[in-house]
Amino acid sequence: MEKLNANTDYPLYEKHPELIKTQTGKSIDEINMENILSGKVMPSDCRISAETLVYQAEIQESFGNPAIGANFRRAAEMTRIPDDRIIQIYNRMRPHVSTKEELLAIAEELETQYDAKINAALLRETAEVYEERKMFRVD
Amino acid sequence: MKRSKRFEKLEKMPINSDGFSYEWVDVGLVTMESPNDPNPSIRIENGRIAEMDGKERKDFDSLDKFIADYGINVAEAERSMGIDSLAIARMLVDIHVSRQEIVKICSGCTPAKLVEVINHLNVVEMMMAQMKMRARKNPANQAHATNLDDNPVLIAADAAEEALRGFAEVETTCALARYAPFNAIALMLGAQTGRAGVLNQCSMEEATELELGMRGFTSYAETLSVYGTETVLIDGGDTAYSKAFLASAYASRGIKIRFTSGTGSEVLMGNAEQKSMLYLEVRCLFLTKACGVQGIQNGSINAIPLVAALPNGFRAIAAENLIASMLNIEVAAGNDTAFTHSDFRRGVKLAMQFMPGTDYITSGFGGIPNLDNVFAGSNEDCDDYDDFYVLQRDMKVDGGIKPIKEEDAIAVRNMAAKVCQTVFRHLGLPEITDEEVEAATYAYCYTDMPPRNKAEDMKAATDMMERGITGFDIVKGLHENGFEEIAERVMNMLKQRVIGDYLHTSSVLDENFKVMSAINNQNDYMGPGTGYRLSDERWAELKEKFNALKPQDI
Repeated sequence: MEKLNANTDYPLYEKHPELIKTQTGKSIDEINMENILSGKVMPSDCRISAETLVYQAEIQESFGNPAIGANFRRAAEMTRIPDDRIIQIYNRMRPHVSTKEELLAIAEELETQYDAKINAALLRETAEVYEERKMFRVD
Repeated sequence: MKRSKRFEKLEKMPINSDGFSYEWVDVGLVTMESPNDPNPSIRIENGRIAEMDGKERKDFDSLDKFIADYGINVAEAERSMGIDSLAIARMLVDIHVSRQEIVKICSGCTPAKLVEVINHLNVVEMMMAQMKMRARKNPANQAHATNLDDNPVLIAADAAEEALRGFAEVETTCALARYAPFNAIALMLGAQTGRAGVLNQCSMEEATELELGMRGFTSYAETLSVYGTETVLIDGGDTAYSKAFLASAYASRGIKIRFTSGTGSEVLMGNAEQKSMLYLEVRCLFLTKACGVQGIQNGSINAIPLVAALPNGFRAIAAENLIASMLNIEVAAGNDTAFTHSDFRRGVKLAMQFMPGTDYITSGFGGIPNLDNVFAGSNEDCDDYDDFYVLQRDMKVDGGIKPIKEEDAIAVRNMAAKVCQTVFRHLGLPEITDEEVEAATYAYCYTDMPPRNKAEDMKAATDMMERGITGFDIVKGLHENGFEEIAERVMNMLKQRVIGDYLHTSSVLDENFKVMSAINNQNDYMGPGTGYRLSDERWAELKEKFNALKPQDI
């Protein structure tokens, strides 16, 4: 499929509702009152999908904002990481909290367990910068 | 000395209760143009920035590096940096040069370059430029809803009234942190009762904010603070890299965010590297852009008592809002902290963003009395509504809110309190009594509310989080108890997070949940007859003054 464009494809919900699926593969309009009341859709369905975030990234990239696009692409990968683990990783990235080995282990985990290559690269770069700037935990 | 009676009187005027200070460059007490601000420069080698603003890459700290690698468009940099700063300054006020063209130039500029550009502008030029550079064509506004007792019923009623008045976003926080889940839910319920599609947030520390968002209790987050020196950023518990990760974590759950920064914060945190407040703030804006975050809350925010104590305070604040817009970032423009005893002065401060319009003119307006404002008090509060409305009417300016009738406010407050009561009952939370509903309907401030058992509330709030309650439980509770329309609205807010259209720059939702952002509502101002103009319908709303004289009365 051709990449989406800000001028023709946004807002996605108006222009291409058929492209928007929940993380569990349901169509967006399956999130409706009837299905919520009957339990046919659950809170776990009400989550943005990696694909939708990539579409939104394409929209920003076509609009001249590659950094926002990159943010959405990192986010697309993160849809595969559980809530608790995301918060833990964030806390491990704070300055003087982790050692180099710990950050590199997280990078490895991101890549192998969650297929999160962009985030793994961010973690490795973080380890490199923290080393230069002495921002690791000192035991 | 024999005293002049006039000077004696002047000394007693409210303005002279404000604090003022001379500049003191050594500690960074200078708003603009510190002699230690770097000169703009750039050198690109192999497609990478090798020197930025007089510093070699090998000397970059982590913030410099992150900005150089992700915050500057290398493809545009040499051209942009080659344009004379005065020429760019003139483009900002030239109606023949479009916003898009300037955004493109600024994408290739360094922090010091944009500071040099902006230093050429006086405040009227800044306001003209702000009108053109605001990312979203239609201006909007944000409100605070808090109270000293963290009373959730009152928060719901206040949020409903604010939503009815037209605020596009509402924000709460807590006096006691353990109240956060209740305040967040109450705010959401109130906002959706007042007007469908109002965005809501609960300002807490990072991990709690994220948790509340993930549960579906909030739709955006704003209190993600960034600072313009590496040392202060670290003191704040972050680095550019951790903040970038956090930003994406929110997006991965479909939650809109903006960062928060502001002139003066680095000095308050004790490390300004002898640079001007504006220069450091511009580094925050580049960091925001580099993280791929769509927006910023800036305009000095809670450092304004310090910034306003110095020469060029208001001008520096107008400049920081403007530079954010030049970087194509959404601006929630401050005007949210009490800083002066003078009504004259606080009105003029507001005017600098009110007249040109920003994405959010205040961030926010206290839709509550000053004494209930847990964000240390705003520059405007609920006693100022009529002043604000009259200024809109006087100048035909859209400040984002409209006059409402007392009976409509009462009705919507009452309904919001009942909605809150119903949801609390459904979720098995401590009871909200009819007496509380009645009190919240007519209350001025927290002292008008029957006291709640706070220990019990906080225990229940913690328990509710442990039970895994989410927005879905709230939707069900509303629907099953006669509030089908509000249930529908809350559901639609949850749905936004699956769609992601409101993650884009400067987004707001209308009452039909239609997103309006910098992409589909681009600011196309190019002089008179272009850009945002009040429709006849909107003007009719804004010029309403219920107690004004009508021709038939005479």
